[in-house]
Amino acid sequence: MSYLDVHEVTAGYQPGIDVLQGLSLQAESGAFVAIIGPNGAGKSTLLRTIFGLLHPHRGRITLDGLDITMQSPHKIKQLGVGFIPQGINIAPHLTVEENLKLGAWTFRSNARLVRQRLDEIYTRFPVLAERRRVRATELSGGQARLLSIARELMSEPCLLLVDEPTAGLAPHLAEHIYELLSSIHQRSGSTIVLVDQHMEAAIAIADYVYLLALGQIKAHGPSETFTPTRVRELIQASLLGV
Amino acid sequence: MPSADLFLQYIVAGMMLGALYTVMALGITFIYSIMKMINWSMGEFYMIGSYLQYIFVIYVLGVKYWYLGVLVSAVSVFILGCILEPVVIRPMFGGFVERRTEYATVVTIALMLALRSAAYVLGGPYQRNPQTNLPRLTLGELTIPGERAVAFAGAIIAIALFYGFLRFTWFGLALRAAAQNRVAIQTAGVNIRRLDQLAFGIGVALAGVAGALLAPVFLVYPTNGAITTMKGFEIIIIAGLGSIPGALLGGLILGLVEALCSVLLSPGFQHAYGFLLVLALLLVRPYGLFGEREREV
Repeated sequence: MSYLDVHEVTAGYQPGIDVLQGLSLQAESGAFVAIIGPNGAGKSTLLRTIFGLLHPHRGRITLDGLDITMQSPHKIKQLGVGFIPQGINIAPHLTVEENLKLGAWTFRSNARLVRQRLDEIYTRFPVLAERRRVRATELSGGQARLLSIARELMSEPCLLLVDEPTAGLAPHLAEHIYELLSSIHQRSGSTIVLVDQHMEAAIAIADYVYLLALGQIKAHGPSETFTPTRVRELIQASLLGV
Repeated sequence: MPSADLFLQYIVAGMMLGALYTVMALGITFIYSIMKMINWSMGEFYMIGSYLQYIFVIYVLGVKYWYLGVLVSAVSVFILGCILEPVVIRPMFGGFVERRTEYATVVTIALMLALRSAAYVLGGPYQRNPQTNLPRLTLGELTIPGERAVAFAGAIIAIALFYGFLRFTWFGLALRAAAQNRVAIQTAGVNIRRLDQLAFGIGVALAGVAGALLAPVFLVYPTNGAITTMKGFEIIIIAGLGSIPGALLGGLILGLVEALCSVLLSPGFQHAYGFLLVLALLLVRPYGLFGEREREV
């Protein structure tokens, strides 16, 4: 049984309009899965559905054998799932440290653990340590993105869902984020599901790739089988509805 | 020209009332900050707070323990808000409700009418006075009715407790974050439905505190929340919707403007001065002093 199993899930934002159309996907424990596809394929919707921000109309989602299909986000979070949505996922008027503390919400009663995790994060991200008392709104775009990721790492998730972590970032910052995700995967052994428009970069750091188009899986397999030529052909075929 | 004593007396009175209106405004703007909705039934929670104060003082605790009445009224209104929120407000956030603002407007106006009608049915249209045993306060040449001074002190304590709760507790941190990014708070693992319930409970409890504190001053009757609610909205227009620091300053400004105009022009138009201030501000700064450009709790 897969660690994460999305089975024939249908979901959408409006009645009668399904963005995900009977989609199935699996991720093994400790895997790094990339989900690629053209705009509007349903990649972000898939992550929102797994995290419980959107409930599917049909289908089933299990995490380590536990049915989480209709669970609320806070319950899914308690099961060890982290979600880094697209854009900057922080409270801009809170300080860096307050934002990080929010990441400790699920174990807030353990003050010592909260402090320990904060220290770990500051060791790992010295730029956040330097700016811990600064309001998040004063951070640069790259620093704010780092804060979004660092906040999720506070809870040391077993499954980390990451949506477009490099969208809008300068190439050198994007490279840094990919290195960071790779090191998180190697160090913690977390399962990572990454949605990304930068297909080549996502394929390069993932073990396994799913290609989505129009709410369905069009292709999947080990990342080495997704060569640039094949990806281009698959995307063209998807856009042309072949 | 009014005497300096009279002038000072009006200013002090204005600031005192301003502080109480601020408590009301804080409740309105706090609920808006978290839930992105205006609760049009705030005046009715004020009214319930005042009735509870009357009942506790007259029938349960006695005049001597009026201050306990304020506390019990606030807690009772908080519990009532926590009970009503899942029933009346929460459907707004579930399913496919597209016009949330309209939904919130309709249901909270319906709630206002229901609570007001219930007050008429249960208590009649009579004015009631929960007495206090407070002597007049003398500060030099200045004398202040005891119930007004205590209401002012109570308002300051309520504001300080509210601030402390937001600033120094985990739930306060979550509420401040929710006012800025509702998705971020959910990805942190906070139960957003419970947080909304808590926010609604706290917001209406602030109205209940204002009602309980002002009960001996403005008396207790089914529509007694109307004026204070109107003042609360005036403060919010002055401050900018969603700004809690702005609400604190707005209450002070409104209280001072009403007091100064009353002493310099005519006290008969006290309520009109606030409206004129609001109209003038809408012309030059329609988003309020702190609106939109800085929205936080």
